[in-house]
Amino acid sequence: MSAGRPILKTSLPSMHAASAASTGPSKPAAPRRAPPSAPGSQSQQQTGFLPNRPDADPRHVAIALHHAHQIQAQKDTETLILDRILELVTLPSSPSADPAAPSPEDARAFKSALVPFQPADYDNLLLERKIEGLCGYGLCPRPHRQEDARGTYRITWGAKGSGPGGRGRDMNIVPKEKLEMWCSDECAERAMYIRVQLAEEPVWERRADDARGQDLLLLEEGRARSQQGKGKGKMRSSATSSSDMANDIARLSVRDDNRSRELALERGDAHPALYTGRVGINVQENYNAQGPATAPQMRPGDETGGSIEGYVPQDR
Amino acid sequence: MDDDYTTTSVDADREMTRLWRTWRTVFEMLLDRGYEVTEEEVQMPLHVFKQKYSDPLGYPDRNKMKVSARPTEAMQAKYTPLPSKSNPSPQPDCGTIYVEFCPDATGVGTKQVRTFNHLVDENNYHTGVFITQTPISPSAVRLLSSMPGRICEHFQEQDLLVNITRHELVPKHVLLSPDEKARLLERYRLKESQLPRIQVSDPVARYLGLRRGQVVKIIRRSETAGRYASYRWVI
Repeated sequence: MSAGRPILKTSLPSMHAASAASTGPSKPAAPRRAPPSAPGSQSQQQTGFLPNRPDADPRHVAIALHHAHQIQAQKDTETLILDRILELVTLPSSPSADPAAPSPEDARAFKSALVPFQPADYDNLLLERKIEGLCGYGLCPRPHRQEDARGTYRITWGAKGSGPGGRGRDMNIVPKEKLEMWCSDECAERAMYIRVQLAEEPVWERRADDARGQDLLLLEEGRARSQQGKGKGKMRSSATSSSDMANDIARLSVRDDNRSRELALERGDAHPALYTGRVGINVQENYNAQGPATAPQMRPGDETGGSIEGYVPQDR
Repeated sequence: MDDDYTTTSVDADREMTRLWRTWRTVFEMLLDRGYEVTEEEVQMPLHVFKQKYSDPLGYPDRNKMKVSARPTEAMQAKYTPLPSKSNPSPQPDCGTIYVEFCPDATGVGTKQVRTFNHLVDENNYHTGVFITQTPISPSAVRLLSSMPGRICEHFQEQDLLVNITRHELVPKHVLLSPDEKARLLERYRLKESQLPRIQVSDPVARYLGLRRGQVVKIIRRSETAGRYASYRWVI
């Protein structure tokens, strides 16, 4: 296994970068699949026969290995996510950090660590931080709220004028444990802003060009960006997009080897043994047939019924 | 003041009794799995337990409640795989078990599990059993089960309040040794995948600490045949 090869087997380039950067000395699992650009080295590595079963079909061995590697990759990802959760519980690095203006290193670490997460993993992180007594938002060092009063539900009131029809106040009934996950409502908003950006699919099923869950924005960054965006016009963007579309259509073709290789990679069919299909069909002609078949002829004794498997009935 | 005192003592008493029942089930479990435990330990009466494991206020002190037990000869024989060409003299795949009660009343997460894992690893226990009062977080479960080369199990105290295998509707489960398993498969001309199955997460399988690939014999009463034995492959 070469040193620079990433831990995760996924088609996401950023995942490769993130995992290679942070989990360098992770345990070497199964032998890794080489990138599909180098089919020569790959077939040597994978299609080797089993030492104790030399008569096994190398193609079957290769396919079995391919699936085993996929499962191993999933397991690796799960351990990676677990490690990330354990890391993120300890964030932020300084106990006086301000969740509204986190230090750039912490923010970067937080965002890059969250890339492989699904919302469910993020919920696990929130739970873990709550058990540690911290606010659920990963960049907030404060302890979460503690309410002494009994009762499983709390009533929260919105700002003035937030009620139905713009009058009165908005009222919500919230479970106590949901409320106790955060230090303040702002942190709850920040944490949920991150959660909705995470991709629903697990990492090993994501598409290579899927932008969801890739570049996460903190709430503050998102607000700043939407403020900027309002000033600029939208005319230009529509004009460029229509010409882009025309170009794209002109470039379309039915058979594109590059794209089909990408597709194969996304589907996890990168192994050369799978290019020709999963089942090898080997038609074997029967060469023992001797000339054209002839019709049966009458033999002596056949008029009385003939023999039954060599036995001729006597009294007839 | 006086009133307050009595309510706490009643409270403590109740918790102590509950924990005593869990404690007894743990020992019965160790006995059923085949570890070396003495009769007195299994049959420990409530007042002795109270003396031994309560703090000055009468509440249980879970920090004191740690058990380790060694497997008996019979259990070692049961867990020794069949000798093969590559491994002519196999070692039994079982060893000292360690049981710990987690003292934290709420919120057991990865922190406690990591300490537990570390302790199991450091003292070279083969199996660890972690008993908590509340459910543990999903990441903690994953962390507990991901110990390389060791087996860590988790139970909640309330799961062990009653010994489920002593219930009249639960048939007797007996683990087969690799030798017995091989003979069973030969007798019925089966592959192991052709046996009926039982999940590792099945309550009785968890109680007996079964592992994937083992076979249990289930003996139940039958109205017509007197006794009826069936076999389950653990998956």
